[in-house]
Order: sequence, then structure tokens, then C-alpha cells
Amino acid sequence: MGLPDAAGDLSSEMEVDAFRRLFPLRFHERHLAESIRPDGRPVGGARDTSLALGAVGSSDGSALAKIGSTTMLAAVKMEVMTPLSESPEEGCIAIEFHMPPICSPLVRPGRPADAAPVVAKQLNDTIVSSGMINLKELSLVSGKAAWMAYLDIYCLDADGALFDAALLSAVAALSHLRIPQVSLNDDGRVVVVSEEGEEKIDREPVNKEKRKLNLTNIPFSLTCVLHKGYILADPTAEEESIMGTLVTVALDSSDQLVSLYKPGGPVLAHTSVLKDCVELTKKRTVELQKILAEAISDMDLE
Amino acid sequence: MAGKTPTTYSPSPRLKSKPAKNDAYDSVRPDGRGFAQCRPAFMRTGAVNSASGSAYAEFGNTKVIVSVFGPRESKKAMMYSDLGRLNCNVSYTTFASPSRAQGSDHKEFSTMLHKALEGAIILETFPKTTVDVFALILESGGGDLPVVISCASLALADAGIMMYDLVVSASLSCLGPNLVIDPINEEESREDGNLMISCMPSRNEVTQLIITGEWSTPKINEAMRLCLDACTKLSTITRTCLKDAASSTQD
Amino acid sequence: MEVDRADGRTANQLRPLACSRNVLNRAHGSASWSQGDTKVLAAVYGPKAGTKKNENPEKACIEVIWRTKSGQNGKAEKEYEMILKRTLQSICVLTVYPNTTTSIIIQVVHDDGALLPCAVNAACAALTDAGIPLKHLAVAICCCVADGGYVMLDPTMLEEQNMKAFAYLVFPNATMCVLSDAATLVDGEPKEHGVITSVTHGAMAVDEYLLCLERGRAATAKLSDFLRRSLQSQVPSGQLESA
Repeated sequence: MGLPDAAGDLSSEMEVDAFRRLFPLRFHERHLAESIRPDGRPVGGARDTSLALGAVGSSDGSALAKIGSTTMLAAVKMEVMTPLSESPEEGCIAIEFHMPPICSPLVRPGRPADAAPVVAKQLNDTIVSSGMINLKELSLVSGKAAWMAYLDIYCLDADGALFDAALLSAVAALSHLRIPQVSLNDDGRVVVVSEEGEEKIDREPVNKEKRKLNLTNIPFSLTCVLHKGYILADPTAEEESIMGTLVTVALDSSDQLVSLYKPGGPVLAHTSVLKDCVELTKKRTVELQKILAEAISDMDLE
Repeated sequence: MAGKTPTTYSPSPRLKSKPAKNDAYDSVRPDGRGFAQCRPAFMRTGAVNSASGSAYAEFGNTKVIVSVFGPRESKKAMMYSDLGRLNCNVSYTTFASPSRAQGSDHKEFSTMLHKALEGAIILETFPKTTVDVFALILESGGGDLPVVISCASLALADAGIMMYDLVVSASLSCLGPNLVIDPINEEESREDGNLMISCMPSRNEVTQLIITGEWSTPKINEAMRLCLDACTKLSTITRTCLKDAASSTQD
Repeated sequence: MEVDRADGRTANQLRPLACSRNVLNRAHGSASWSQGDTKVLAAVYGPKAGTKKNENPEKACIEVIWRTKSGQNGKAEKEYEMILKRTLQSICVLTVYPNTTTSIIIQVVHDDGALLPCAVNAACAALTDAGIPLKHLAVAICCCVADGGYVMLDPTMLEEQNMKAFAYLVFPNATMCVLSDAATLVDGEPKEHGVITSVTHGAMAVDEYLLCLERGRAATAKLSDFLRRSLQSQVPSGQLESA
């Protein structure tokens, strides 16, 4: 682990590591005084972010997102349901967030992580609030059949800023989604039209046009840690646990605020700080939009 | 996301009512491999940074991640033990198979993984503590358990857990007169019998042998020979993978 | 700036508040808090010995258990538990009783909008009633943003559903302080203007959120007055004089 020698008098590598474990808060504060983070980032800088679409072959749309070492795998599976009577023209989306025991030493099998349902709820709120998905596009036959989109996000490696990575993978998986072509069979059930189309040519597919979702106002987010007047963008798990005040801002592509989430924490957020967080998120949103656009164009080339 | 979740079904035709030509055994396999040909194997260590050791394996469409944690404090309820403990857990993602399922723990595979690894780990080296081996099957393409076992032993090596040898595993399906190695889901669904071997090739020891279905003795011998041969080849891949990882960290 | 509200309130008008403390016999501290038809009962047990796994034993641990009006706890309740836990952790003095756990049980009596703010206020009153050391009180408010960019305070359930966005905000209460106002400023703002907790639903412009903050702060001054008064009134008068 290449640590910058910000700890000054503690010369050898071993001592720096010991200092880090024994006095974690002081270790981080000494870095911050030099305007640098232990991993060499500037205070307001996010970690390297990458995105790969189509990671899961058995799904209808999938994406793998990595922010630093935080890794998320999202996949969409389309199933058919009878639409609810109050909204016969609409489909549905069900978002689940999983933290399997492989992702962190804190998660044990059989006991779901405390953070998982909270992130799931936050994801659901953000995606619904942003209005990025028009549920009418998921309708197949009015009142009879509609799509239920199951969006499952798995955390493969948890190292801070879980929500940001989960949201990125979720929107990427939805951008990658290709809805299967289906038709109605004799029993009124919806079946997939095989690509070769040799069996039943007489049946017209019911969704010839609607193979892709039209995503508008895609939201992106940035989590910041507040500590003594510093705003640390995109914290690692270590930073999150040592400095406990988190602020997550989500903005959509038209700079509307979709979520400003600060669950308590010892530091009070004053207006100027919140404005700074929003500014950082605006910059980050531009970066993430570019990353998503590149991932999509890479896909189309193949 | 209201309280009531409507019931849904997958529109894809599930296991297309076994093709009628079932008894006419093809001379080629669905993915074009020969009977004695394994799927291309890709393995890499260090997939999960927050774990003590981890590995990712991709055999055809079967994709698996294994994380190893520890040795760490055993559960409070555990009695004192001179030997270390091994704790295994295998689970599937909800999107692992073509029709969506509730992603849940696979108890049977968890036990089998435990049995396959137990004999290879030098448990005396970490008394009083537990090593946790957690596997997540991202995508199931057939032959899931052997892939999990091979991947888990690589992850254990990555975590620096002392072992007598790397454990590698291979399975084989019996389809009528044919023996097909490293079967995919489609073949597994219509097999007459299955044989799986986990072994430590450089010690020439078998840690686990599982046979299901009806077998004749000569066929078992032939199947075991094929599997052991596949294991030997797989162990060179895992070894190269470990050596590459070690040399890249030295640079 | 005039908006019609179903119950005839003005945009900045809160629903009638009610707070009573010491409503449960067995709990170490309890309070019920209602805003209009939304009513929450909070009970505090503790500090009890020991902390849970994965908690820092050098500090006091706060545990929040959320009980819905009926039915099982879902994701929303889990989220409320986490938000409430972190909010209360930030106002409690955790170093006084290390290696102890204080449980706060929130029972929803009726939900008619602004549920989380109501629960924060109830929990705060219950913690005071139990005599748990606090740095300061917290006051919570829900601000709603209507389509024209109007901000309405303390919405009912129906209003929450029909508005394009709303924000739950928690602020520290105004402290009685002998220092001059200027001495307590943080970044040119009074301390009580800092946000402890913010949760938003729906999309709004950033300026609309800032407007919510401003309105919310103005309203919390009134709320914290009410909270202070209801806490004082129930201290037996003799004790207050002898202290």
C-alpha cells in the first residue's frame, strides 16, 4: 500500500500502518491538513470509475459498475404480470439491493446486512422520484398483461459510497435493457417469439416497436463525508466509518434535485456546505454521464 | 412497490418440453465441443478487495466469485478447539438461471464445498479461529459446484491459508452411451448419471467423489480417468494464475 | 403566494401540536407527540448494560425499534430506524455511559403525513423524559413543494402524495445562551440553522430545496418553543425552584 509520507516523523511503512490503526482519526486529519487523502486523491476528488454493460448473459439487461474497489452488479429480468386494476396501462418495477456475505467482512450468511434494505429503499425512492422510467412503456396489452421489471443489484465488494455505485449500475443496467419480443399464445399467456421465428409465423409480436426503454432525466449521485469543515467526496469504507457524517446528493440530467439525503451524523450541515455538496455533485454528474455514454457507445459498436 | 406484489411469470418457454429426439444421442454437443473437451476456463485472484483473499472464475457461462475471510474470531457459542474451523456458504443470485428465482443459500452445495475443502486445509495452523469461505454464483451455466470448489481453493491460496495442495474439481455427465465432460445446464438436465471428483493432483489424492444415477463399473473407471485428467489440466491453469498474481505484485 | 389547503390552513401554518410526557408506567421515559391526526408514541428503556455486536463499546449505543400501526416491518421502516438512530446519536452525549445500550421504541398510532418528523419529535421528548444526557434537542419538520414552487409546511398524507416533492428536515433547537449572537455563529449562520437530517422525496430544483430549508428553520423556532414549554410545564414546580 503506497502511502504518501504525510505522517512525517513516522518514517517506516510499518509504523505508518500502526499509526493508521491506532489513531485512525488523527491519521486522516493529518492527511486532510495537507489537502490530500490517504489514497492520494484530492479532498473533493472521486475514485476511478468504470462501467461494463452486458455482464450477465442470463438477464435482459445488466451492468457492472466499479467506483474504486466498490463493485456493483445490476441485472434486469423481465416477467409478465396482470396489471393492477387501478393502473391497467402501466407496468411495474421492483428494485432489490443485496449484500451477499462475499462483499464485506461485516456481513455474515443468514443475517442480512442492516444497510441493504436502507440502500434498496433509497434506490427505489431516487429512481421513482426522478421519473426516469415511464411505467406506461412497460404495458403490453392494456388491462391484461404488462411487464414487471425485476432490477436486482448485488454488491460484490463494499468499500464505501455504496449508494452511488448501486445507482450507477442500476441506471446502466436499465440503459442496456432489451425487452424480449413476445406474442400471445392460445391460452392468453405471453410467450417469447424466438429470434428465428420458424415456429409460429402467424402470430404478430405485440411489442414490435417497444424494445428499449426511453430513459429521461437519468439521476446520478455523489456521497460526501463532512468533517471539520472539509468535504470529502466519494469516501472509502474506512473514511465513512471514522468520520460519520454522510451527505448523498442525487441530481438528474436537468440538474433537478432528486435526493438530498443526510441521515444524522455529528456534523451539522449549513447552507453553504450543502451548496458546495450540490456543486461537487454537478461536476460528478457530468463525469458519470460521460462514462455511461461511452459504455453505451462501446456496446453499440460490438 | 405497494404492499401487494402481483404474481408474475417468465415469458420464456421453460425447458422447451424436452426435444423428442431425446433417445437419438447427438454426436455433437449443444455448444459444439467434443465429448472430452472442457469449456474454456478463466480464473483470476483478488476480485474482492475487502476480503482476505478472493477469486473469480468463469467457465463458459458459469461465473462465480469466492471470498475468503479470516482466520478470524469464531462465533461466541463455539467451544475451544485446537483445530481451526472452516465455514462454507454458497448462494445464487436471483438472475443466475434463466427464470428468476429467489436468490438464497444453497445448503447442499455449502456442505459439499465444505467436505471438498476440509481435507486439503491444514486446520492446525489456525487454532481457535474460523476461516469463512463464501461463494456467490453470478450466473449458472452448468457444472456450478466443481467451478465453485476450484475457485474456492484458489481464493484460499490467495488469502494465504495453508493447504496441502490446491483442490481442483471436475464433473462429467453420462448421456446414454456417451460420457461428456464438464457438462452445461442443457446436458445436465437430461443426463442419466453424474460423476464429480475433487482432488489434489500433485498428491494424487481425492478429497471428494460424488456419483449419482446408474453406472456400470467400467464406465465409472472410464469417467474417473477422464475427470482426473481434466483436474490435472485445470490445476496447471490455477497454478499459473497464482504465479502470475504473485509476480505482478512483486513488480 | 396563496395556496388552498384542504383543511383551510395557510402555507406556513402547522397543524395543532400536542405533546404529553410520562405516558407509560414501565418505560424509563416516554412521550406521545401528535401533529394533527399523525400521532406517535415513543418509549425509552435504558441505559442497559452492554452494547450490541459491531458497535463501539467505548460509547453509548442507541437502538431504535420502529413499530408500525399494523403489519410487518418493511424496507421503509428499516430506513426510518436507521435515520432515527443516526439522528438521535448525533444529539445524545454518547461518552457519558460507555458500553450501554439505550432502546427507543417508536409506536405509530396514526399516520397522516409527516410521520418521520413526528417520530423524531416524540423520541426527543421521550429521551428528555428518561433523563438521557443530550447535547441539545432536535426539532423536525416536513416541507412540501407544490408545482408552482410554493412551499407548504407540515403536510397531511393527502398533500404529501399530491405534491411534486417534499423534504423531512431535522434541525437542532435554539439554545438559550448567554453569549452574544455573533459568538455562536458557524460560517456566518447561527448553529441552529445547521441540518442534522435531511430526507427528500420527489424531484425539485435546488433553489426550491433552499427555500424549504429557510421555511423549515423559521417553523422550527416555533416548534422548539413548544417543545421547551411542554417539557418545562411537567417538571414539578418545587423541583424547579430548588434546583
